[in-house]
Amino acid sequence: MIRILAVFLLLGLTTQLMAADVSVSATLSRPEINSGDMAELQVKVTGAQQADVPQQVVVDGLQIRLTGQSTQVQMVNFKVSSSVIYSYIVMPLRTGSFTIPSVTVSADGQHFRTTPLSFTVLNESSAGGGATPTGAGFQPPASVSGSSQQLGRSMPRPEPDRIAFGEISCPKKTLYAGEMTPVEIRYYFDARYPVQIRGGVNFESEGILVERFLDPKEGREERDGVLYNVLTFRSLLSAVKPGSIDIAPAKLDTQIQMPGALPPGFDDPVFQQLLGGRAAFGQTRDLTVKTAPLHLEVLPLPKEGRPSSFAGAVGQFDIDAMVSNPHPDPGDPANLVVKIGGKGNFKGMGAPVLKDPVGWRTYPPTDKFDSSDDLSFTGVKSFDFTLLAQQPQHASPICQFSFFNPQNAKYVTLTTESLPLVALPGNESSGPTSANATASSSSTPNPSSTPSATPRDGDPLQRLTLRSWKTPMQRPEFLIASLSMFVATVTLAAILILRDLQARGGTAASRRKRKLAELLSRVQSGNEEAAAAYDAAIEYLELAAHPSDARNSVLGSLISRRDLLKYGTGGSVPLSGTERAKLLETLQTFSSI
Amino acid sequence: MKLAFISPRWGGPLTALVLLSSPVLLQAALADRMETANAALASGRPNEALADYKEILASPELAKSSSAELWYNRGLAEEKKGESAASSLSFRRALLLDPGFTPARRQLVTVLEKIGVSAPLSWQEQLLGLVHPETMILVGAVAGWIGVMALVVLLVGGPRRKGLIALAIFLAAAGHGCSAFGTMIDPRRTAGSKAVVISRTSPVLRATPADSATSSGSLPPGTLITVLSRNGDWWYVASGSGLTGWIPSATASSLLPSVAVSSRGS
Repeated sequence: MIRILAVFLLLGLTTQLMAADVSVSATLSRPEINSGDMAELQVKVTGAQQADVPQQVVVDGLQIRLTGQSTQVQMVNFKVSSSVIYSYIVMPLRTGSFTIPSVTVSADGQHFRTTPLSFTVLNESSAGGGATPTGAGFQPPASVSGSSQQLGRSMPRPEPDRIAFGEISCPKKTLYAGEMTPVEIRYYFDARYPVQIRGGVNFESEGILVERFLDPKEGREERDGVLYNVLTFRSLLSAVKPGSIDIAPAKLDTQIQMPGALPPGFDDPVFQQLLGGRAAFGQTRDLTVKTAPLHLEVLPLPKEGRPSSFAGAVGQFDIDAMVSNPHPDPGDPANLVVKIGGKGNFKGMGAPVLKDPVGWRTYPPTDKFDSSDDLSFTGVKSFDFTLLAQQPQHASPICQFSFFNPQNAKYVTLTTESLPLVALPGNESSGPTSANATASSSSTPNPSSTPSATPRDGDPLQRLTLRSWKTPMQRPEFLIASLSMFVATVTLAAILILRDLQARGGTAASRRKRKLAELLSRVQSGNEEAAAAYDAAIEYLELAAHPSDARNSVLGSLISRRDLLKYGTGGSVPLSGTERAKLLETLQTFSSI
Repeated sequence: MKLAFISPRWGGPLTALVLLSSPVLLQAALADRMETANAALASGRPNEALADYKEILASPELAKSSSAELWYNRGLAEEKKGESAASSLSFRRALLLDPGFTPARRQLVTVLEKIGVSAPLSWQEQLLGLVHPETMILVGAVAGWIGVMALVVLLVGGPRRKGLIALAIFLAAAGHGCSAFGTMIDPRRTAGSKAVVISRTSPVLRATPADSATSSGSLPPGTLITVLSRNGDWWYVASGSGLTGWIPSATASSLLPSVAVSSRGS
C-alpha cells in the first residue's frame, strides 16, 4: 500500500518536474585539502530526472571518479523541483594547485557545462596542525577491525507510545577515507495508523558519500507489545574527508492518519470495535521521522608505503587474469581480462596497471562490474585490456593492482602471472606462427623489421617523412606541372587539328583558292576545248564572285555561249585567242571584286 | 666544388641525380639527429630532447617542408615537461602536416581533455583521417588531366562516340573537382590565419587592443583560434565557440611555425 502511494506520489512529482528548466552546477566539498585526504565533487543537475555525466574527470595529478548519484526533491510554494546529484571522489596524486575543468552533462537532449573549479592539495607537513584532526589519533588496525564487528544501534529503545521512529545502524564507526561500509536505516510505524511516504530518505552530510538507497523492504516487528510496520532502507556509505564527522539524522517525510476526537454518538466502544480500532475520525498529520545522528571517525589513507599503482581501491580484493584468445592471428589484438574480486569501493577503483608491456601496444581497458549483492559491495570487476603485438610475443604482460586493506591498514599489491600468449605483429604475417618459431624469431630480432613496427602511444617515433607546409595549389612545382599539362593538352589539340586538316587537304579557303587557280589555268591553257573552257569559267565565276545582278548577268551570258558552243558548232575546238583574252578579262574583273 | 675528374659528359646527369636525391639525403641527416633526441626522451630527459627537437625543427632545411613525426615527438617532450598547451600546438602542427596521423590525434585529444578544452572532430578532419589531402589533390589532378586529354582526342582526332566522350567529360570533371575539393578542405590552406593559445593562464579577450579595455571572456590554453586582424602586439581573434576580441600576441602562437611562415612569405 505504502509503495503504491509512493509510486503515485512520485508520478505526480515527475509530471511537474518534466516541465522544469535544466540547470547544472558543480561544487567541491573542500577547495583545499591535505595530501592523503580526499574531497567530494558534486555535480548537481536540477530540472532533469536523468543525465549523462562522465565516469571520470581527467586532471593531471588528481583522480576523479564517479561514485554514485542521489536524488533531491524540494517543494517550495507548491512548486516541486528535483535535482540529481552526481558524486565524484577527488583523490590527489600529488600536491599543487589544480583546475578541475568543466564537466559536460547531457540532459534532455542538451549539453551543459559546469564552471571550472580551483582545487589545492597541500603538503600535509605545511598545512598546519589543525587541518587534520585525526592525524595525531591514527587508529591501529586492530581497533578498526574490532569496531566493525559490532552493530551500532544509535537509537534508544522506542517508547511504547511512539507512533513512528527511526533507527540507523552502521557496522563501522571508524573507517578510512574511501572505505565503503553498509548502512541500514529502519523506520518503524505503528501498524494501527495508515501512513503515506512523502519522498525519499534524506541522509547526507558534508564529507560523506551515500550511494542511492535500494527500494525499501517492508516487514513487521513487535516492540514492547506494539506491532510496527518496518521500512528498511539499505545503502553504502563512504567518507571522503578525514576527521570526526557528525552526520545529521536520516529523515523521512510522512503523512500519518492520527486518531482524533470522536463526534458525539460515535464514542461507543462497540462502534470502535466495529471499526477495528482504526482512527475512523482521525486527522492527517505531516510527520518527519528521524533516526539518531551518526558519528564517524574517518582516518586518512597512510602515505607511507603507498604503491605507485595504487588507484583508490579500498577493501579486500583478489586478482585473477586470463587471456581470452591466446593465439590471435598476426596483427589481430589479444584480450587480457583481469578480474578483481572481493569487497570494497568498486566504483571508485582505478584500473590495474600493465607492467612494462614492451613490444605491446596497449589501450585503456574497458571495465564491467558483476555484483554479487544488491548493494554492489561485493562482486567482481573485470578489466579487459586490448593488446596488439608490435613484435613477436609468446607471453602476456603482467598486471599489477594495489589496494588499501583497512583490516590491517596496509597497502597490498597483487600481481598476475605472465600467461601463454602467442602473437605476431601484422607486418610479419608471412613469418612463422608456431610458438617455437616465434620464440626463435624473437630471440634473434630482425633489425629491418624494427623501424617499421608501430610504437606505443607516447613513445617517440623513429621514422621520418617530409611533407610540405603548403597545399599543392600553393606550390610552384604543382602550378608548373598544371601549366605543362595545359600546354601539352593544347599542343595535342593543335597537332590533331593539323593532322585533320592535312587529311582533308587544308582549310576550306585554301581548298577554294586552289580550285580557283586550277579553273583559271584551265581557261588560260589553250588545250581545253571551247565548251570545257566555258564550263571552267562558269565554275570559277560561281566560286569567286558573290551573288549579284552583275555576276548573274555575266554568268547568264557565259552559260548561253557555252550552250551554243556545246550544242551548236565549234564546241570541240579550242577557243580563239581573242575570245580567251576577253573571257579572262571578264573573270579577272570579278575575281578582283 | 669542381668535379674536375668527372667528364663534362657525365656532369649533367650527376647534378640531376644529386638534386633528385637531396630530399632523401636530408631525410637521412634529420633521422640521425632525431635519433639522439628520441634517445633522450625515452630515457626520461625531456628537457634535453625538447631542446634537440626545437633545434632540428628550426633548421632552414625544414622551412618548406617538415616532419609530422618530429612535431609529434616534440609534443611528447613538451607533454612530459608539463607544457600541455605547447604540446597541443605541436600535435596540431603534426596533424597539419599529416591529418591522418592517428597517434598525434590521440595525443591531442588526451592533452586537450587534460586542459579541459573540447575539440570535436569536424567532418573534414574525419575525411582527411581517411585520405590525405595531398593524395586527393594530386590523384584528382592527374585523373582530371587524363580526362581532358581524352576529351581532346575524342573531339578532335578520334571517333566521336558519345559514350566515350561522356566518360572523358566525367573523368575530367570528377578529377579536377576532387582536386579542388581536396584543396578546399586542406587545413594547410587556412593555417596561416590560425593560432593556438599557449600561455599557461587563459588570456582575456578585450574589446579594444588595450589592457584596460572591457573583457568579453577568456580563452583557455590550447584553444585553436583564428587571427582576424593584427595591431602591433595585439591580435583580434575569434574562437570556435564564437567569442571574438583582442588578446596579446605573446599569449598565442601561429599554427604555422615561424620558419614556415617566412618561407611562405618569400
